[in-house]
Amino acid sequence: MDTRALKRWGLRGLIVLGCGAGVWALLLLAHGAENSADFNRRQPWILLLNSCAVLALGVLLTRKLWQLYRDFRNHVPGSRLTARTVGMFGTLVVVPLLIVYLFALEFLNYGIDSWFRIEIKHGLNDALMLSRSALDLRLHEQARRTEEIARAIAGLSGPELAVRLDATRRTTPGAAITVYDSAGRVLSLSGGPGAALPPAPSAGVLMQIAAGRDYVSLETPGNGRAQIVTASPLARAAGVPPGRFVLVDYAVPTELSRLADAVQSAYSNYGDMSAARRPLKISFMLTLTLVLLITMLAAVYGAVWSAQRLTRPVKDLIAGTRAVGKGDFGTRLPLPSRDEMGFLVHSFNDMTKRLRRSREEAALSRQAVERERERLAVILSRLSSGVLVVDAQLQLRSANDAAGVILGSDLASRVGQGLTDGVATNSLLAGFTAALRARLASGEREWREQLPLKDEADPRVLLWAGTPLPDDGPEAGLVIVFDDVTALLNAQRSAAWGEVARRLAHEIKNPLTPIQLSAEQLRRALLRGLDTEHARILERATHTIVQQVDAIKQMVDAFSEYARAPEVQLARFSLNQLAAEMVELYRLQDPGVEISVELDPQLGEVEADRGRVRQILANLLSNAIEALAGVTGAAISVRTRWVLAAPAAQAEITVSDNGPGFREDILSRAFDPYVTSKARGTGLGLAIVRRIVEEHGGRISAENLVTGGARVRILLPASVERRAESRRERA
Amino acid sequence: MAKSFVVIRLMLGVLPLLATAVAHADDPLDGELEIRSAYAVPSRGVIMLSARVAYPRSPLLSGTLKDGVTLSLDLECVVSRHRRFWLDAEAVNLVRHSELSYQVVADRYLVREVDAGTQETFATLEAALAHVGTVEEWPIAVEAMLPSDEEWQIALRAGVRRGHMPDALRALMFWSDAWHRTSEWYTWTLVR
Repeated sequence: MDTRALKRWGLRGLIVLGCGAGVWALLLLAHGAENSADFNRRQPWILLLNSCAVLALGVLLTRKLWQLYRDFRNHVPGSRLTARTVGMFGTLVVVPLLIVYLFALEFLNYGIDSWFRIEIKHGLNDALMLSRSALDLRLHEQARRTEEIARAIAGLSGPELAVRLDATRRTTPGAAITVYDSAGRVLSLSGGPGAALPPAPSAGVLMQIAAGRDYVSLETPGNGRAQIVTASPLARAAGVPPGRFVLVDYAVPTELSRLADAVQSAYSNYGDMSAARRPLKISFMLTLTLVLLITMLAAVYGAVWSAQRLTRPVKDLIAGTRAVGKGDFGTRLPLPSRDEMGFLVHSFNDMTKRLRRSREEAALSRQAVERERERLAVILSRLSSGVLVVDAQLQLRSANDAAGVILGSDLASRVGQGLTDGVATNSLLAGFTAALRARLASGEREWREQLPLKDEADPRVLLWAGTPLPDDGPEAGLVIVFDDVTALLNAQRSAAWGEVARRLAHEIKNPLTPIQLSAEQLRRALLRGLDTEHARILERATHTIVQQVDAIKQMVDAFSEYARAPEVQLARFSLNQLAAEMVELYRLQDPGVEISVELDPQLGEVEADRGRVRQILANLLSNAIEALAGVTGAAISVRTRWVLAAPAAQAEITVSDNGPGFREDILSRAFDPYVTSKARGTGLGLAIVRRIVEEHGGRISAENLVTGGARVRILLPASVERRAESRRERA
Repeated sequence: MAKSFVVIRLMLGVLPLLATAVAHADDPLDGELEIRSAYAVPSRGVIMLSARVAYPRSPLLSGTLKDGVTLSLDLECVVSRHRRFWLDAEAVNLVRHSELSYQVVADRYLVREVDAGTQETFATLEAALAHVGTVEEWPIAVEAMLPSDEEWQIALRAGVRRGHMPDALRALMFWSDAWHRTSEWYTWTLVR
């Protein structure tokens, strides 16, 4: 059994004990009032039981009040209301009780005092004196008469005495005359020999007679009638033996006897009551006080109990309201009754039920929205277009993965931050943000156009469109959707250049052979007929024509090569091995240039067209060697690296030199056809390289090194699938 | 709440004060009340008890009697057998009731044997108390009620109650013993 159950049973036991003690004490009290003998024996039990009743009630009340005080201090919901109600009920109960108690005490005092008013005492004493006077007169008269009888029979004895006694009794009605000797033995009596013997004279009579004095007394033998007992010695007369005396009992008249009894009874009753006056007062007061105490304790206990019962629904409501405030809508309160409080509790339960239902619906809606958001997030993450949501202050609200890839920044980690924060290290993002700020400053809220972003290593062209978010007010955020169209533009440009090259090759190459043949025929035909001077001029002119035609042929062949787009023959091979072979080849070709190679051992086989990748490396190495002409300490570095970057693993090839680098004016167009810084270059080498890279789904960039020199960086997807993914991303 | 506590505290304080005041007042019943001697002998099949009882004697008592108060004088006799592991077996429980009053009209003290219905008057209080305090051959039990093979204890005590108070009023005075006194038990073993 747990502590709570023990307490509950203890409390019930205490209540039963208190009630039982009270009832038992009452029964004992009632029984004691009927039986005086038992009352003495039961008195301690009555006291003990009353004490138990008061104690039990006191303990119960103390417990209730302590509970109330504790709740009040701990700010338990509803405790203040309960305390106020208890105070109100207690005052309503205690004040009238106290008033009644004080008035009862006063009436009690007055009532008991009125029993013993001085007039009553005086009246009783007067009645007593009157009775005594009447009886004293009769006593004296009877005493004198007995003395006369004694004198009359003093000298008589024997039959003569008996005759005289009979005669005397006849003249004294109601009197019994007996003559005794000094030892109290009967010598003669008025009733004659057949009369019943009277009782022996009392010790008092004998003592008085022995002292030679008369005896007179009013006695009540117990038969309801008083009698006057008189005795007188006979020895006063001469010749009478000493010690003899006559005892005469005179019957008191009935009326007088009754009155004397009445006076005696009244006096006795008054005396009893008077003696009990003070303890009776105290008894009444204490009894009243005890009754008040029990009543007051019971009343206050009842007030506390009633207040708690009355305020329990309110406390439940407060607790329920707090629970609802904390979000617990499952709170159900017990219905206390069918009154107004019950209606209130019912309304509360109805409210919590509706709230719970609303919350469940809201939760379902939230889940649906969340599902939609997740779906949208998946869609956005799979989009190749970048999507950004910013507010009017350029705070980034949302961004998909493609946006971060295109702008080269981890935008997901910057959500909630300003888009312009920390853009200094990312020229693409800086350019994008600057363009966006310019848009916002111009007040333009909706646009769609190309946005070129300058970057030394990897310039980009974006196609971006902005539109304000709906229902977001004048400070509405913007949704910006953008695509990296660099590759597309490059492809378009390459296609255009390829068409130009193809037409040039077709239109130009055809007349070159007749020109060259004609020039040689002209030389052969005319050379013999000319003098030395003219022959030398002809020789030089035809040689120039043939040489320039060859140059034009080479140029046209280069154009043809650029325009030709053979099918890519994919195969798996080791890029490291190919790079090492190419480096070794060019080391042998030009020993004046130090070519170092750094190969990543983690770089495995790639899936590409080995011949065309070889062409890339050859073009880059050739360009580097040509750029290093005349440079002291010329050095070329070839490096491969395995890049595990999103969205696909890539092989990186970097060729750098310590030459003069790209001219600033052509750096951004280094991979366009006919852009070259060399006097004799066709400007198609790097263009072909970019074309091959793009055919493989890769990316190429060129930059000048801070330490001097140029660096070309190529990223090739490691496999076909990854290449396809890369193409998708870039598309 | 606080008011009720103050009242209860005041009342709880008043109760002992009142009880103390009552307990310390001079009382006519104060004085010697004891069984001086007692014995019981079998006489023709009946156990007869004789005793001498000293009742309180004081001018205050005399004055009380003369004010009309009646004294009830009880003599309680219990004959019981001791049991080792249980309550004593009670064979006899008798009370002999007497009343002592002052006859104010006759100026005499009246002793009334309540049970016997007899009464006797005395000129002095001493004579009346001596009379009531002398118990001669009070039959308390038939010898057959008390088997001789068992040891019987006789206990005697005297009590004095003041006043002829109505029982209803006496019930109110359950808390107080000021209106009565009881002597110590005088016990001895019955010898046959």
